[in-house]
Amino acid sequence: MMNQRRGIHLDQSELLCKKGCGFYGNNAWQGFCSKCWREENQREKQKQIQEDWALAEKLQREEEEAYASRQQKPQSQSTITPFSKFEERKTKEKSSKVHTVTKFFTPSTKTPLKKDSVFDAQSSPSPSSSAGRHSSVDTDHATREFIDFLKPLKSGREIFKQCRAFTESMVYKRDMAADELSECVQDFYQNLSERLQTQFKGSSDHVESVMDEVEKYMMTRLYKEVFCPETTDDEKKDLAIQKRIRALHWVTIEMLCVPVDEEIPEVSDSVVKAITDVIEMDSKRVPKEKLACITRCSKHIFNAIKVSKKEAASADDFLPTLIYIVLKANPPRLQSNIQYITRFCNPSRLMTGEDGYYFTNLCCAVAFIEKLDGQSLNMSSEEFELYMSGQASPNWPQASGASSCSPGSAALSQVHKRLDLLTGLGERQERVMDQARQLESDLIDWTDEVEQKVQSVLESFPAETKNPTETTTEGTSAASSAIDADNIENELLPPPLQPQVFAG
Amino acid sequence: MAAGGTGGKTYSFKVVLLGEGCVGKTSLVLRYCENKFNDKHITTLQASFLTKKLNITGKRVNLAIWDTAGQERFHALGPIYYRDSNGAILVYDITDEDSFQKVKNWVKELRKMLGNEICLCIVGNKIDLDKDRHVSVEEAESYAESVGAKHYHTSAKLNKGIEELFLDLCKRMMETAQADERLKGNGASQSASSRRGVQIVDDEPQATPAGGCCSSG
Repeated sequence: MMNQRRGIHLDQSELLCKKGCGFYGNNAWQGFCSKCWREENQREKQKQIQEDWALAEKLQREEEEAYASRQQKPQSQSTITPFSKFEERKTKEKSSKVHTVTKFFTPSTKTPLKKDSVFDAQSSPSPSSSAGRHSSVDTDHATREFIDFLKPLKSGREIFKQCRAFTESMVYKRDMAADELSECVQDFYQNLSERLQTQFKGSSDHVESVMDEVEKYMMTRLYKEVFCPETTDDEKKDLAIQKRIRALHWVTIEMLCVPVDEEIPEVSDSVVKAITDVIEMDSKRVPKEKLACITRCSKHIFNAIKVSKKEAASADDFLPTLIYIVLKANPPRLQSNIQYITRFCNPSRLMTGEDGYYFTNLCCAVAFIEKLDGQSLNMSSEEFELYMSGQASPNWPQASGASSCSPGSAALSQVHKRLDLLTGLGERQERVMDQARQLESDLIDWTDEVEQKVQSVLESFPAETKNPTETTTEGTSAASSAIDADNIENELLPPPLQPQVFAG
Repeated sequence: MAAGGTGGKTYSFKVVLLGEGCVGKTSLVLRYCENKFNDKHITTLQASFLTKKLNITGKRVNLAIWDTAGQERFHALGPIYYRDSNGAILVYDITDEDSFQKVKNWVKELRKMLGNEICLCIVGNKIDLDKDRHVSVEEAESYAESVGAKHYHTSAKLNKGIEELFLDLCKRMMETAQADERLKGNGASQSASSRRGVQIVDDEPQATPAGGCCSSG
């Protein structure tokens, strides 16, 4: 009651802005005037944002603490500002990383929890730079696998430390010439494998498997820096070979004397698989995996040859077929890939292993394609020039002489057949259109003609119609007699029956 | 590195097979590695890359035999194949004078490119067809001697002389590798890093007819 009364009776001061700026306030603005309300509101919002920030920071700090405790490295809960703490964490991380790895590899590792902490420590170089994180998923994965692999090894810690240090140092050498980079990596391989050799007392299989993992780890991390580096003309070479292969699209299976019969489904299937594999090479990062693609491709080729020839493939059969496959596939960045494998693959594999043999054959195929001329395809250089310039194509006459259609260009000749069919259809379409147009003009002519006829009939009609109207006006009897008179058949009718009188 | 194991434990050697097409290179290796000749039931998918493990005087040897395409048009690719090989087997057909001429060309080329580091074997194959012989034994053997190579007579069909050929070659390659090791042991322990890597290098312009390719349109 009292309140109400008070509410009714408003003092002047109560109507004014709470801030006392002299303007009137408003209930909707919590008693402030519009200007003061805006200011107040802004301040409020700012405060909210700051609180959010504080909360976020607090959460982050908590996370960090949890992280630190997981590492069993309790951090001092000092009153440092979040940013400096972050900085400190970064440096601490760097120093602790090696430490945790060290710990990890010592025989006293018991709990799986520690394993996690190692992984965290490993994936942590990227979180500090959020941009780097996204691209390093692969490398993190490689690192983890590498650690997993090294875990049971006595000297695993040592190997990992060396590889990591070397890889990191390589990143700063990106301006170096590719050959020098290659030299560095190869020297590292050699030194490491020599040391491993003495360590494992000559168990070369073991050394090799370790070296494989070392290569995998290092090259996954270095791939971006050292694949087709800007300091080389690899890219130019890529484009040159690509253009060259495209210009050689007309080369047939017969010209290369490829002992493969693509009419057999299994063979054509193998050919397709071989093409897919050699193209896939570009998508791999590790030299060994790239080599594995070439090996798979080669195995498919051997299968194709074996099915076609019913005997084991020799090099005499294999190389031409590989050349054919490369020509058909036109693998992306071919030269870059070859150079990359040459520079950064473990040399022992490249020199004596089976993979090395297939890789060498691929190099041969590329060299052959680069130098290819009429002579190597058993044709005159004039003919070769003609095909290269696109003025002639060996496929066209073959397609027309359908009886001797080759299996190699089966698809091509089919395409040509289809093309012929299409042009035939085009001609027929043209003819149909012509005839349709003819028909149309005929129709127009016909209607014109009909119209003319009607016109002429109409012109002559009034003279005829006048007569009957005149006759009708003269007399209907005459007309009726005339109608009767017209009836010629009447004369053929028997005479009307006469009544007969019977005596009786 | 191809030049074999350190400490004389395991040697791995790369051996290239060179020779014209149809002289029986493939039959030779298939006979050696699989002991098969013209067999319809050959288990291997291919006969272009074969390996053989040997034990010679207590030393393990891994032999990798690289077959090469023998067609004339692939002759220019030879250097890519025989780079870094420890041995080369140059095969000719005793009934084919031309194939012997080819071997002579290969020898010249190999000596020029690889010097004396490579062990050369000149092999006259198809001695089961001795009645059609066109390359005389004396000529072939005296030629082999003159270029520091060893000469062998083989028949892949009758399985003659093949085992001896490879065993002999391995022994010679081991000797070369051991001599190499001793040399390296005396000198600085520089590793053979300079000899690794397969690179495509344009060798001397191979008698390509003028106005040939390269002006790709």
